[in-house]
Amino acid sequence: MFFHIVLERNMQLHPRYFGRNLRDNLVSKLMKDVEGTCSGRHGFVVAVTGIENIGKGLIRDGTGFVTFPVKYQCVVFRPFKGEILEAVVTMVNKMGFFAEAGPVQIFVSNHLIPDDMEFQSGDMPNYTTSDGSVKIQKDSEVRLKIIGTRVDATEIFCIGTIKDDFLGVINDPATV
Amino acid sequence: MFGNRDFIYLTDHCVNSDRLYSFVRFKVKNYGSCEATSGLTSSLAFTPEQMSVVTDSPVHSSNSDDFIAFLDAELGASSPESSPDKEAENEDELESVRIKRHKIESTEETEGSTSEGIMKQNLETSTKVDVCTHPGSFGSMCIRCGQQLDGKSGVTFGYIHKGLRLHDEEISRLRNTDMKSLLCRKKLYLVLDLDHTLLNSTLLAHLSSEESYLLNQTDSLRDISKGSLFKLDYMHMMTKLRPFVRSFLKEATEMFEMYIYTMGDRPYALEMAKLLDPQGEYFNAKVISRDDGTQKHQKGLDVVLGQESAVLILDDTEHAWVKHKDNLILMERYHFFASSCRQFGFNCKSLAELRNDEDETDGALAKILKVLKQVHCTFFDKHQEDDLINRDVRQVLSSVRSEVLSGCVIVFSRIFHGALPSLRKMAEQMGATCLAEVDPSVTHVVATDVGTEKSRWAVKENKFLVHPRWIEAANYFWEKQPEENFIIKKKQ
Repeated sequence: MFFHIVLERNMQLHPRYFGRNLRDNLVSKLMKDVEGTCSGRHGFVVAVTGIENIGKGLIRDGTGFVTFPVKYQCVVFRPFKGEILEAVVTMVNKMGFFAEAGPVQIFVSNHLIPDDMEFQSGDMPNYTTSDGSVKIQKDSEVRLKIIGTRVDATEIFCIGTIKDDFLGVINDPATV
Repeated sequence: MFGNRDFIYLTDHCVNSDRLYSFVRFKVKNYGSCEATSGLTSSLAFTPEQMSVVTDSPVHSSNSDDFIAFLDAELGASSPESSPDKEAENEDELESVRIKRHKIESTEETEGSTSEGIMKQNLETSTKVDVCTHPGSFGSMCIRCGQQLDGKSGVTFGYIHKGLRLHDEEISRLRNTDMKSLLCRKKLYLVLDLDHTLLNSTLLAHLSSEESYLLNQTDSLRDISKGSLFKLDYMHMMTKLRPFVRSFLKEATEMFEMYIYTMGDRPYALEMAKLLDPQGEYFNAKVISRDDGTQKHQKGLDVVLGQESAVLILDDTEHAWVKHKDNLILMERYHFFASSCRQFGFNCKSLAELRNDEDETDGALAKILKVLKQVHCTFFDKHQEDDLINRDVRQVLSSVRSEVLSGCVIVFSRIFHGALPSLRKMAEQMGATCLAEVDPSVTHVVATDVGTEKSRWAVKENKFLVHPRWIEAANYFWEKQPEENFIIKKKQ
C-alpha cells in the first residue's frame, strides 16, 4: 500500500553548500539520501514530494558541518499481510516462483500455487495448468496475496500466495 | 473455498459450538462463496441468525452423516432459534446459499467491530490445529504460512535466491517430484566443475612472459558464443575455455539437467557461467559456488536438488567429493596457463607457452562425453527389468567403469609403496584382476623399472610391460590405452 506521509530527518550539510542555493542543495541532498531507502516502520521511500519545514541549523564543533532538522512529505510503499498486490515474475523454479512489486521481493512457494498447476522445466521454466490455458513464467504479471512480510534495513521480503479466488496470472507475456 | 483440511479442524472444534459458529462465519465471509464445494461442506450452511444443517445431501458418506447429526444436536442445544428442517425443505440449495451470502455480508457490515475479534479467535484456533510444518523459509518467514521463523534451521539455497532456506523433508519432497518429471524426459543430473574441467583461468599478473602473446589474441566479449579465450579486465583475469566445451554442453543438455559447482566465489562463478552459457539456456539459477556449500573445502550434493541416485559429477578433484565418490567421473586436469601448472607443481611448459592446445575432437571432454552417453543409454535401457525409479546411476557408472580393463590380469612391480593401494584400487574398479605374483594368466606387468625380475619375466614371456601411467590414463579416458605408448624407458 502507498502512503503519503510526513517524515523528519536531520541533514548534515557541508559548509561549501552554504549561500543562496542552500535550500536547493539541502533538498537535492535529501532526495539523494532518502529516495529508495527502506525503513522497517514506514517501508520504502518512493519519492519526496515536498518540504514541510526546515528548522534552524546547528553548527557542529570541529567539523563545521551544519545539522538541519528537515520535515518532508513523501510517498512510501509498504506491503501488508493480507494485501493483494500485482507483481512481475522474475524467476521460476521447482520450489515456486519469485516476483517483484517495485522494490519488494515476493516468493510464492509451490505449496501456495494451485494444485492443478504443474512445474515444467526447460530453458523457460514455468507453471502450467493441465489444459495449458494458464502459464506462469518469467515476466508474467500475477496478482497475489501477501501472507507474510519482513522488513530489513534495506530490503523487504514477502511471502505470497495465488491459491485463492481471483488470484493468478493477469497478463501473459507470451500472448502479448 | 472449503477444502478437506478445513473440515478436519471443524470436527476438532465442534464441541464448542460458539466457536464453531464464529469460525464458519469467518470462513464464509472470507471466501465469499460456498457454491462449488465438496459434497460434505456443501451440506453445511450457516447464517448468523440461524444455524442449520442440510441433511438430505445425496453425496455424503455415513461417516459424515454421524458428524452432521452430532453437529445438529450440539447446535440445537446451544442456539434456541435454530431450525434444522427449514433448510432441508429448500429444493434449490445453491440459490439459498447465494441469498445467505448476501445476508452474511450485510450483517457483517453492521457488526464490523465484532468481526475482528472473531477473526482473531479463529486465527488462533486454526494455527493450533492446522500446524504448518514450515517446509522452508524466505527472509526468515515460513514459505507456506508466512509466519516468522528463527531463520537458522534448514539448508541455505542462496544460489537460487538470497534468503531462501529449505528443510530436509521439503528437499526430499522436491527431489522426489522432480525425479519423476526428469525420468519422463529421459534426463539425469550432471554437476560440472569449472576450473581445470571446463576451463582454465589465470590472473593477468600471473601470465608468464612467453604467454603474453595471448593478450593480443583474446576474443571479443560481445560475441561470447564464438570465442574461447577471454580477458576479463575488471576481474584482472584471463580465461580459456577447454576445447570442445561448447559442443559438450550442447550435447549434454539433451541428456542432463546441468549444475555448475565450483570452489570459486560467487561473482567468478556467475561470470564463468556467462562465458559458457551466454544465452542462459543450460544453467538457469543452477550455479553453485563455494559460498553456497554447507561445508568448507568440500563439495556436497545436499544443495543440489536432485536425487543422489541420478546425479553424475564431473570434476578434476577427487577429494572435494568425499561423500559422493561413486557419482564422480574424474577429469584429467586442463592446464592451459603456466600459473595453473605451477599451482599443481608441474615444471613443464604450459599449453599456452607451447602454443598448443588439447585436441578438439579427441580431447578429454570429447572422450568423457562418450562415457556420459554410454551411462545415459544404459540407465534408460528399455530391456532392463527393474523400474526406472529404482535404478541407480552409481551402479551403472561402476559397471561401465568395470569394463574398461576387463580381461586384464595385472601384476605390479617396483611401485612406490604409497601409490600402490590407489593404483590397485583403480585397476580393480576398471575390472582388472590384480595378482601378487606372476603366473601364466598375467597379461600386463605394471612397473617403473625394466630391471626387476617381474619386468624381465614379462619381456621373456612376451607380456605387456607398461608404466603405471597406463592405468591412470585408462582411468581418465575410460578406455584401455594402447600399451606401446606407455613403454618404460631404460634408465641411463
